[in-house]
Amino acid sequence: MSTTSVPRFVRADGPDKVTGSGRYTADLTLTGTLVAKFKYAEVSHARIARLDVSAARAIPGVFAVLTQDDVPDVRFGPFVQDRTLFARDVVRFEGEIVAAVAAIDVPTAQRALNAIVVEYAPLPVVNDIEAALAADAPLVHEGWSQYGAADVLVRERNDASFASIAKGDVERGMAEADTVVHSRYVADGCHAAPIEPRAVVAQWEGNKVTIWTTTQVPFDARAGVCETLEMPASRVRIIVPHLGGGFGGKCGFHYEAHVAALAKATKRPVRLVFSRREEFIAPDRRREGIVFDFETGVKADGTIVARKVWLAIDNGAYTADAGFFSQLAAMHALGPYQVPNALAEAHLVYTNHQPSGSVRAPTAPQTCWALESHTDEVAKAIGMDPVAFRIKNAVATGKEGPSGQVYDEIGLVDCIEAATARAGYGDDLPDDEAIGVAIGWWPSFSAASGAYVKIDGDGSGQIITGAQECGTGAVMTLRQLVADELGMQPEDFELVYQDTSAAPYDMGATGSQTLFNNGRAAIAAAGQIAEQLKQLAADMLEASPADIVLADGAASVAGTPSRSVPITELAGIAAGGELLIGHGSGVPPAAQEVSGATCIGDVGMTAWVAPQFSCHAVRVKLDRDTGVARVLHVSTAHDSGTIINRIGATGQVEGGVMMGIGQALTEGTRYNDEGQQRNAALLEYKLQTCADAPPIDIHFVEINTPNAGPRGAKGLAEAPNVATAAAIANAIAKIAGTPIRQLPMTAERVWETMNTEGSPA
Amino acid sequence: MSFTIATTLDEALQALATGARPVAGGSDLVVGARHGKAPLPEHLVAIDRITELQCIEVTDAGVCIGAGVNHHIIEHHPLLSNAFAGLSDGSALVGSPSTRNVGTLGGNVMNSSPAMDTGSPLMVLGAEAELRSLRGSRRVGMAELWTGPGRHSAEADELCVAIHIATPAPRSNSAYLRLEYRRSMEIAVVGAAAAVTIADDGSVSAVRVALTAVAPTIIEVTGIGLGSVAEVAAAAAAAASEQARPISDVRASDKYRRHTVGVMARRAVEAAARRALGEPVSVPVNRAIGIGAAS
Repeated sequence: MSTTSVPRFVRADGPDKVTGSGRYTADLTLTGTLVAKFKYAEVSHARIARLDVSAARAIPGVFAVLTQDDVPDVRFGPFVQDRTLFARDVVRFEGEIVAAVAAIDVPTAQRALNAIVVEYAPLPVVNDIEAALAADAPLVHEGWSQYGAADVLVRERNDASFASIAKGDVERGMAEADTVVHSRYVADGCHAAPIEPRAVVAQWEGNKVTIWTTTQVPFDARAGVCETLEMPASRVRIIVPHLGGGFGGKCGFHYEAHVAALAKATKRPVRLVFSRREEFIAPDRRREGIVFDFETGVKADGTIVARKVWLAIDNGAYTADAGFFSQLAAMHALGPYQVPNALAEAHLVYTNHQPSGSVRAPTAPQTCWALESHTDEVAKAIGMDPVAFRIKNAVATGKEGPSGQVYDEIGLVDCIEAATARAGYGDDLPDDEAIGVAIGWWPSFSAASGAYVKIDGDGSGQIITGAQECGTGAVMTLRQLVADELGMQPEDFELVYQDTSAAPYDMGATGSQTLFNNGRAAIAAAGQIAEQLKQLAADMLEASPADIVLADGAASVAGTPSRSVPITELAGIAAGGELLIGHGSGVPPAAQEVSGATCIGDVGMTAWVAPQFSCHAVRVKLDRDTGVARVLHVSTAHDSGTIINRIGATGQVEGGVMMGIGQALTEGTRYNDEGQQRNAALLEYKLQTCADAPPIDIHFVEINTPNAGPRGAKGLAEAPNVATAAAIANAIAKIAGTPIRQLPMTAERVWETMNTEGSPA
Repeated sequence: MSFTIATTLDEALQALATGARPVAGGSDLVVGARHGKAPLPEHLVAIDRITELQCIEVTDAGVCIGAGVNHHIIEHHPLLSNAFAGLSDGSALVGSPSTRNVGTLGGNVMNSSPAMDTGSPLMVLGAEAELRSLRGSRRVGMAELWTGPGRHSAEADELCVAIHIATPAPRSNSAYLRLEYRRSMEIAVVGAAAAVTIADDGSVSAVRVALTAVAPTIIEVTGIGLGSVAEVAAAAAAAASEQARPISDVRASDKYRRHTVGVMARRAVEAAARRALGEPVSVPVNRAIGIGAAS
């Protein structure tokens, strides 16, 4: 199967970014721009006894101070409408916005924040996920039952979304098992931590507003502005300059409406630029902490007969896009295994923490970490090699997964075999080293998406797309797809993107969906132009359009290359007649119907379109004296369907693995007793650095995937982040003699575990 | 607010005498101001263009390292990285390549952080800081210089112009290790340096051990008995854990720090002894052996 159609791939946005000529949102300056600053709650749970902004408003140079009284009183949220732009009556986490200031400069804005008077009456802080589920636990939202919410959600007090997946008879399955293994794991929350902090600039002209913003999802951001400021979509334009990373953290609707409201009130452009601390505490997008309880029943021959999982996800103070996390986590907790009798129950629990939301493969890395650690415990309990155990029980082509989906052509077992072989699994290692193995999965997300393509009179082309480039290279790859379709070169096309008023809808840089869906749209748009070019060439060359081939920048008659005309010449002709304009969308692939399981709180996460699979085998060295673990080598194998842009795909795997190493070892939010983050800074929240990067071996299992994206591609951006932490955990457990039950597996936690009485180490 | 660029030491000392604060690489001062740790001083005098502060002078008696010498130079200097390897170990771990290219030894010393990577090496090497003012010059040992976290005994008009280290006895060398959670942009969770002299019979005839990030200042460990390398390493570990006064914070608990500083002390003694015996242990030790090694 052909994989890469060009040997060299130069990103269209690469030179701008590398040379510094590219412009990011914070770089934009419009005449008369004011500075925006937010007043945050700082406390985790309290009733606002008094809020007085009059002194702040009176400061010279302060143009506006806004509170919830100054904007439409709209409750919003994609799953549960539990949030307002500014705090109304109650603050529920430290990063909640109480007021916003627009001032002439930063010091004046800061003085205004200091002059805002807020008095709080403390409310009990809900700081523990499990305690929050107790019948008598303090409520994070007293009025939860009155909120609007998606009909499918099952809600009760602090439980914002309960989901279960039940298949077969789990109790009977357990009774039939020769061995039942029970495990508990706890994953701390962590952050997307993009290097570019959030920024928003808004400017009004008449009754229309243009907002430049650091979003991964421009159309979603627009919808948020429309909903909260009560405006039609046609009067809101979202433009995203270059985006400095997102990792999911910049999905959703954030501060666009706040800044637009300030700009409207002041009749001036207004710019908001976050500090690193704000980036840590305020957004409703951080990776959720989860508590897990697993029970797996297994036969002596290694056959899984039953699995029971209970898990509780830290929703934080507001639901953001986490409404579907319960069912998604339940799927990941059952895992890519053939489980005939399964029961997974998942709760999404309100706490007084920063809200959770989609960060690169939401719920998956930490759930995979817990499940795969448990899986090694199960294999160990029956004395079976953990890789052999996985191969025996993994889902495979034609086999039924835990939700009842029967899988088409998939390559999970190929991934396990490739990753372990390439890692040298089974070879002798020093006694302070081990190879841990884990498998993961992730859906491809099918969605509506659109693009235009045009070729101007000089033969140069433009792709005008609603898709968003957040660094993955997915939008950049559109040039390759369109060029291939038209027999042209990627460099022949400029990209016009990240502007909601220029291009048709796309869901944005979320769910690894850009190439999967927008690639389909761009190919369809290019296809229309291809038809036009063939007709023009056919007329000139006196041939049938069906016999015209587009290749190497020319249209020629099949089998007679001498009868040929350059595409630039055809473009010149078209410029005086019917213009070369194509538009495309295409039909999104449909999910399979699933009938094997009973699901409560079903948000459509049990049947996956073009599911992706992966296996990571990681060699780790452990310093037994200090608990410091070091990743020496990572071997990866991914079934993400056809790889279209190999350089971009490689970058995604490398980035996903590095993020996974951070999640495994050093990245985790620490809370104090009041629910406030203790390490909201890059010095104390330790991302991995280039110096920490091990060699990463990358292998793609490319099999023919039915019902997938363009040329058989699946998604890829999130999948490489799923299995790394789990594989590291299994390596550490082998050396330490016991699993580390809390994520991140910091050096101190490893050391504590090894030195706890009764530990086998 | 004023910013003066001094090109001679006298200009710098004049500026200090009238209340200015010195800035060399700015890697502590500017970063600290940005993070709200301390505002930028009202008057600054830049000392990075004073050539006298850039020299490394080697004599039979010892080495004089100008306060403006940066960490990159200390890491790679052929004499320092051989004869005073513990100091090079420390400089090689500071921040990132860009921090090491601007951050200076004098800045590190006068910032007086208990987590500074050059601190415990300087202490075990018996280094002295040369403090100069319009009033004169004096030399101060490290234990006397550092008085608390971010605090030192120099007067406001005194500039640290150089660090002096006496030539070690034959068959001596030093090493510094730190506990780190990542290999770049890191601050020592704990650290330890050792300077060791090996007698003809292979036993340790002199040892000094100092500890990083386990007390309000860098501290020296006392009462380590002599003996074989293994015995001294074990004694140093026990004494380090015993004498450390660590805090609990988001980086580590006091219990874990107390344990791991002993591990670092033991490894520092072992690495210093290997170097003293002429065995090559490359700079920094954190990348040469053990968990942080390159492969």
